[in-house]
Amino acid sequence: MSLKNFLAIALGILSAIGGFVDIGDLVFNTQAGATFGFQLLWVVVIGVVGIIVYSEMCGRVAAISKRPVFDLVRERTGFGAGLATLIASEVVNLMTCAAEIGGVAITLQLLSGLPYRLLIVFAVIALVVVSWALPFEWIERVFGYLGLCLLVFAVAAIKLHPDWNKVAHGFVPGSHSGGSTMLYLYFVAGLLGAAMTPYEVYFYSSGAVEDGWGLKELGLNKVTSIIGYALGGFLSFSLMIVAAVLFLPRGIDPQFLGTPPLAPAHAFGEVGLLLALVGILFAVGGAAIETCFAGAYNLAQFFGWRWGKRYRPARASRFALSWLVIFGLALLVVITGYDPVKLTEYSVIFSVVALPLTYLPILLIANDRAYMGSHANGRIANVFGIVYFAIILLVAVAAIPLLVLTNGGQG
Amino acid sequence: MSKSSPVDLAQGILDHQLVDADGENCGKVDELELRLDGDSPQVSEILVGGNAWRSRGLLGRLAAHLAGDAVHVPWSEVDSVSSVVKLKRTAAELRLNRGDERWAKLFTKLPGGA
Repeated sequence: MSLKNFLAIALGILSAIGGFVDIGDLVFNTQAGATFGFQLLWVVVIGVVGIIVYSEMCGRVAAISKRPVFDLVRERTGFGAGLATLIASEVVNLMTCAAEIGGVAITLQLLSGLPYRLLIVFAVIALVVVSWALPFEWIERVFGYLGLCLLVFAVAAIKLHPDWNKVAHGFVPGSHSGGSTMLYLYFVAGLLGAAMTPYEVYFYSSGAVEDGWGLKELGLNKVTSIIGYALGGFLSFSLMIVAAVLFLPRGIDPQFLGTPPLAPAHAFGEVGLLLALVGILFAVGGAAIETCFAGAYNLAQFFGWRWGKRYRPARASRFALSWLVIFGLALLVVITGYDPVKLTEYSVIFSVVALPLTYLPILLIANDRAYMGSHANGRIANVFGIVYFAIILLVAVAAIPLLVLTNGGQG
Repeated sequence: MSKSSPVDLAQGILDHQLVDADGENCGKVDELELRLDGDSPQVSEILVGGNAWRSRGLLGRLAAHLAGDAVHVPWSEVDSVSSVVKLKRTAAELRLNRGDERWAKLFTKLPGGA
């Protein structure tokens, strides 16, 4: 491998790590840690392996068949079921996008002290300008690299000296203490949903098609999805660990997005706080752009429009209008003042319900030799794919009852 | 897949992406129209958009009410069928992608818009 290729892959992995965490991971990992300590770490492992399995699959499908996810959803499930999936996914994308924008505005408020609603408007304008003016490669890199500031949580997790023996026990599912079984299961569903949010695969596969991936990129696809997401998973562990060490014993419930950065602040003072806030700002800001575009991709791919950033907005005007409208609607949702943390909880739980309809067509096409030839799923990909599909189905059925029974995670 | 090999209309053509002669997306195969040619049914037209959805279930009927007329593309305009249905002429010649033309004027005056 030449140095240039190596660098390109390393940079890709770095931005995958920085882009891994979004507001769903921030909220669910810190709340799980503050409620159940280390006992739910095993769920993060399952979630991270799940997103690796399905992003690798849809990256491979995109590279071989040149088809993005929603194209396949429409083709395999037909118009009616496809339209139902589209509507569900658009609602979830919009809610998630609104939550991420709220997260950006809260972080800006913590940094600047300016009024929240003013910062919401500022955040949306900034995101629209960035999305309009910059190519995706730049957006991904800038937001991904600055999102790496979140590594301060990993360093804080070590500096706070957790009981590593107990941490290790958290990676093994078993009996639990500290809250009701319902609440425990609610967090299981939420942590899986946060790790496997559907917008990630919509965005990933559309990006792969737009970048013209082919056979040559199959290796890159494996490396970035496996290593990038696996290392990104360490950030999720760190969030749960710092919350378990710092918030659980003090009875702090991180219901406010300003709470998690207190952990690096506790460990490293002002520098730690600043790094955490900058990391959150860019990780969540990048996710806002991704969710918004995921919504526009799905719409365009369902109806067969021209789509993608390679087109000038006037040429793919329905696509451009779609992402602008989604940003506009998300703005309207957040500006109502509805708590972004609550919005995140709902969007993650609802996204779990939309997951099976998204993942089934990917699994079917990845097995279709007429499309995939010798690159169809092998035995390992299929075992994982099917096991995960079963897990997703189970969680999808349980998610909303759990949300209701636990009163939205209040116990 | 050539036009002479057997193809499953529901799985292999319906709901597939339409691509024009320039390789650009120009809608989906929303509905197929069959015509009896003597005793054998022949695919005569592809219907794209609008009220082509009315036969596609409850949601389709609702969506068709909100949309305009479908564009009819004669099957003779089909160049090849693979994972996409490729057409012989451009979208503009077949009166497809008019939605993009309709909204284009929103963006033409903006910097980087056109």
